[in-house]
Amino acid sequence: MIHLHAAGFAATVQDRGRFGHLRSGLPTAGPADPPAFALALALAGLPAGAAAIEIVGLPFAFSCDDRRIVAVTGREATLRGHAALPTWSAVLARPRQELVVRGTSRTRFAYLAVSGGLDLAPVLGSLATHLPSATGPVPRALTAGDALALRGGPADPGAAGTGVPAPAYDGPVRAIPGPHVSRFDDAALRTFFGEPFRVAAESDRMGLRLEGPAPSPEPGELLTCGVVAGAVQVPPGGAPIVLLADHQTTGGYPVIATVIAADLGRVAQAAPGEELRFARATRDEAVAALAAERRLLGAVR
Amino acid sequence: MTIVPFGECALLVELGDRIDEALAARARAIADAWEALGHGPAVPAYASAVLHFDPLALDPAGAERLAGALLAGASPEGAAAPSRTIEIATIYDGPDLAAVAEASSLTVEELVALHASRAYTTFFLGFLPGFAYCGTLDPRIVAPRLARPRARVPAGSVAVAAGQTAVYPFDSPGGWRLIGRTGVRLYDPAADPPTLLRAGDLIRFVPAAPSAGAATAKDPGSSASGPDG
Repeated sequence: MIHLHAAGFAATVQDRGRFGHLRSGLPTAGPADPPAFALALALAGLPAGAAAIEIVGLPFAFSCDDRRIVAVTGREATLRGHAALPTWSAVLARPRQELVVRGTSRTRFAYLAVSGGLDLAPVLGSLATHLPSATGPVPRALTAGDALALRGGPADPGAAGTGVPAPAYDGPVRAIPGPHVSRFDDAALRTFFGEPFRVAAESDRMGLRLEGPAPSPEPGELLTCGVVAGAVQVPPGGAPIVLLADHQTTGGYPVIATVIAADLGRVAQAAPGEELRFARATRDEAVAALAAERRLLGAVR
Repeated sequence: MTIVPFGECALLVELGDRIDEALAARARAIADAWEALGHGPAVPAYASAVLHFDPLALDPAGAERLAGALLAGASPEGAAAPSRTIEIATIYDGPDLAAVAEASSLTVEELVALHASRAYTTFFLGFLPGFAYCGTLDPRIVAPRLARPRARVPAGSVAVAAGQTAVYPFDSPGGWRLIGRTGVRLYDPAADPPTLLRAGDLIRFVPAAPSAGAATAKDPGSSASGPDG
């Protein structure tokens, strides 16, 4: 078992997402910062389809009944036992040792993966939690006092020690123009790819809301269509919204550009008040960045 | 018809720019055919489909070629499974009922009778789990979207907007006009599929007295109602 002693305010069980029910209008859910989540799984020795805990609100404190490898990732997340322990690393947790995850004001999402993995049965084909519709094997925010069963037994201490460098969370966010780029004039596109935005406080797991410049679409109705994580919707007022893990499956606002998969974490972890810039990317560049991410995961595993 | 990139992990296939049963059926047929290929899920809507794929397993140019072949091949009738008819017992007492009637130059009784007189086609689900975009409304019903969406529409609200009708499965923000309510449960994560309504279903609103509110699903093919019934 893993026991939670402090659980922040909206920690949830997540796997990589529930992709089998988009046509029911059910969002994929899954991690807001997919690259950090995937690295936590890999460092804890878990397969890509396993579940981990997404932590929102710190501190988060836990202990395990038996010896486990744990991995904590996330922007500026820190880990402590009796002394400071590394994040973005495979760390040995002794039986009943309390470990505490903390961070900074810029830590929006942190991930905790535990060797063996959470012992849960899929709901609608996935272990991901969608809080608004109460979907998932643990369809609520985790709270202090919760205990979750773990698979497998005590970990091999020799598996500890692997680590990766924390990825850069600042710098421009790469995005591919479109699919509704024809609904924006050149000035709107120059604004979008040229000027800095500011992250609005209302941002959540559904989307990151931006303030500042207004790359407004040309007038005209758009028929509602399917949308993807990373889509940058621009409502008539011109304040863009970047869709994240809990985004609606369909949307009716023009999408000026789509953030590349490798940079989704950079968007999700942007903190209210921070500046965010977009850089134009090609599809080839996006695929190359995704391939580099997968190579890193493969090397860790 | 166009096929455009939607990021590096999806394509957007656009079939047209209007709400039309034939286009929606074609979008569903293309989504079905894409999912049958096994490269990833697809999300059909009124006149489009988003096709997901892993660009490291299927290169984007190859995905575009496959999508192009589907467009050339998928027949508009490809998704013509026998439709079910779902009845939604509705109490017509929504906060916008009188205003919609007035905007439509109808009495409340006439508006209710018009709304309940048709079987509507479920075009697709989106916005919220179990939220079905249904239509089309009798053109005499005039109901533009609210200029300022409500911060909270109660679950079970029966709503109309711009030629469409729907039921809100959850409390949520919403910009459609609320004409009634139902006790029907539209989303149940313990069921598979988790939604009462599925794309292609016909739905019919049945006026009910307060305290009613059950839905009944008939077997495929058992309903004689047409879309304009």
